[in-house]
Amino acid sequence: MSPILEVRGVIKRFGGVAAVNGVSLALEPGRIYGLIGPNGSGKTTLFNCITGVDQADEGEILFKGRRIERLKPHQIFHLGMGRTFQVIRVFPELTALENLLVVTTSGYSEARRRAQELLALVKLERLAEEFAGNLSYGQQKLVEFIRVLMTDPEMILLDEPAAGVNRTLLNELLDAVRRLRDQGKTVLLVEHDMKVVMGLCETVFVLDHGENLAQGAPGVIQADERVIEAYFGR
Amino acid sequence: MKRWFPVALGLAAVGLALYPVQATGYGIRVMLQLFMWIALAQSWNLISGLTGYVSFGHVAFFGMGSYASSLLIVKAGWPWPVACLGGGAMAAVLALVIGWPCLRLKGPYFAIAMLGLNEVLRVIASYYEGLTGGGNGLSLPTLDASVQIYYAMGLVAAAVTVVTYFILTSRFGLRLMTIREDEVAAEAMGIDTLRYKLYAFLLSAAGPGIVGGLSARDQGYIEPISVFPLVMTITMIVMVLFGGKGTIWGPVLGATLLFAFQEAVWARFIYLHQLLFGAIIVAVVLLMPRGILGVLQQKYNLPRTI
Amino acid sequence: MGVLITPTMVGQVVISGLLAGSLYALVALGLGLIFGVMRVLNVAHGPLMMLGAYTTFWLFHWFGFNPYLSLLLTMPLLFVVGVVLQRFLVRRVVDAPELSSLLLTFGVSIALVNLAQLAFTSDLRAVEFLTGSFSVGPFALSKPRLAACAFAIAITIAAFVFLKYTRLGKAIRAVSQSREVAQVCGIDVQRIHLLAFGLGSALAAAGGTLVAVMVAIQPEMGQVYTFKSFLVIVLGGAGNYPGALLGGLLLGLVEQLASLFLTAQVNEAVAYVLLVLVLLIRPTGLLKGRA
Repeated sequence: MSPILEVRGVIKRFGGVAAVNGVSLALEPGRIYGLIGPNGSGKTTLFNCITGVDQADEGEILFKGRRIERLKPHQIFHLGMGRTFQVIRVFPELTALENLLVVTTSGYSEARRRAQELLALVKLERLAEEFAGNLSYGQQKLVEFIRVLMTDPEMILLDEPAAGVNRTLLNELLDAVRRLRDQGKTVLLVEHDMKVVMGLCETVFVLDHGENLAQGAPGVIQADERVIEAYFGR
Repeated sequence: MKRWFPVALGLAAVGLALYPVQATGYGIRVMLQLFMWIALAQSWNLISGLTGYVSFGHVAFFGMGSYASSLLIVKAGWPWPVACLGGGAMAAVLALVIGWPCLRLKGPYFAIAMLGLNEVLRVIASYYEGLTGGGNGLSLPTLDASVQIYYAMGLVAAAVTVVTYFILTSRFGLRLMTIREDEVAAEAMGIDTLRYKLYAFLLSAAGPGIVGGLSARDQGYIEPISVFPLVMTITMIVMVLFGGKGTIWGPVLGATLLFAFQEAVWARFIYLHQLLFGAIIVAVVLLMPRGILGVLQQKYNLPRTI
Repeated sequence: MGVLITPTMVGQVVISGLLAGSLYALVALGLGLIFGVMRVLNVAHGPLMMLGAYTTFWLFHWFGFNPYLSLLLTMPLLFVVGVVLQRFLVRRVVDAPELSSLLLTFGVSIALVNLAQLAFTSDLRAVEFLTGSFSVGPFALSKPRLAACAFAIAITIAAFVFLKYTRLGKAIRAVSQSREVAQVCGIDVQRIHLLAFGLGSALAAAGGTLVAVMVAIQPEMGQVYTFKSFLVIVLGGAGNYPGALLGGLLLGLVEQLASLFLTAQVNEAVAYVLLVLVLLIRPTGLLKGRA
């Protein structure tokens, strides 16, 4: 089975510093992956390079076999890759429903139907007409999450989905992610909360100082001395 | 609210349509100018109010329309209504030429680019003497068509308002607004922000272009300084900010109120007047960033489409 | 166009370009400080410069005050004006979207220009102090331009010494790099904002004073400098203070070189075209800077 996402030797520099310094990954479809590493290890930068928000200086990124490192974010989105953000980026002056509707899909009525379906999925249907800016943090997080699902993407990148979220909501989110995987979607998440990563991800990539450090099943990674050293030692 | 508003609107429309019958030439001129300002403000709102990309050089489209349509009248013998539409089209083309490179820039840099635009166009208009009459100006064949131009201006003002209404109630409008709210997120959600910004920009240029042509036709004479006045940009901005950017009726409200103010103060105290406009802009930004309608919207929980 | 371009002409143009460029650099450094520290695009920068020019003029007109000496007065005066503007107006929008500060300073610039119109009228003023030029070999060096360049260089060097070696200067640079980190390090960011706006205004005033000896003074005189200062910041990279210097010199050179090939009027468009080109190709500036 060919990988759905391949990162090959990606380098991204800011000023004189390489935030990402030759990282390579390969993701098989239909699995949940985690991307971890201490602060400054380049996780978010890598995320941004993959989704087109930043442009890699060197290296290649292939999605479904197609080179995407030079594409703009909206183009990558239409190829079937969606993402959420570390800091919630809902559109505050739009209602929850409108937040979903703007995501480019086909006809208005179909989009509306799907939007309401998704809202019901996370039990937010009664807040459809509420301005997203007025929703609680957790509710906004959910809206951002289902917004990504509007076009039924094949791959979803989640940037710190557990950040600032209470236990109950978190479990709902994690269940939703597992259901997505069961539907055949691929999920890659950046996360600091180790419990989440270990409990959810099938394979974990570890970055340190912008480079690959280790990869493997959660249990293996947890025991890996280099990983422990990267987080706590030195 | 909902029921009496269309009625009031209808009555106003009828009143304005019948106005020329009773009014003096001066009165018609004044109202004609009001329509012009409404059209200008409403157009500026389309790009700057909806997408948040502040256009400091919008008067360029007015000037472009003035020159294009006047040249079409003088050199190609077109009848003025068609020439004015041609002016609008040329303004849209200019918007495409400028917008295609400049709208890629992030908001503040776009604003800087637009700041310089004004000066450049004034310089170019002076330079290409053969075509535009240079610093000497361009004269149009004499024609007394004030009443017709009154209706034409009114039509353009109404048209731009209607277009704004349709945009604000459509997904197209929602997407424009996402650019204002969070452009990075909009891009990530599949919205080709450059394309949408360009659409908005082109639409926002057509109105000033047509109106520029009409104004030129009404004056009968144009020269570079008169059709690229910086004060026009200032006025457009202050009208929209004051009335409420991003709303439908905000620009109309702002244009009407400030035009009345302008008529009272301008002729005698031109610098004081501009000074006050500057002060109003500062005051609005600090105290009332959403304008009058914005404040009302929040206070009375009015819908977005007012 | 078939005019033969001699090395002398090129040399003259380079000299003129550097002279003009040093002035651009000075004024742009002021704008750069404000933008670097607060991320505010000060559209009112040109009018602040204009106020400096008028101050010099009135001091000269009423008291026969040496224009170059008036730097000692115009700079502190406009420093205060800048601080006041920051404290009461700009401070309220520093954290708002950049659009707000843009519109605010735009409003302020209109207000200042028209205040000047009301107070001073649009009559052209001039400071007849230094005229004529030196001849150095085949080159003509305009005296006021030379003096302006000398002072501009001196003031700019002083500014850089301040930024590099003094505690406040380092604080300014720290805040330019990261406000949060600076706060954590115990820097009073509000004070630095005031200082930066004041300094930026003072530098603009200095530019105004120096220019007052060379050109006609009228309320609108600063507008073109606002735009060119933006251009210099873009060329040099936002937050990159040495970059502002190089950008200023570069702009001066490009303008003068262009005048060899283009007529005077189209020359004004050169700056604009340059801006659009740079913004498109390298928005972070020709040198390294933050976008």
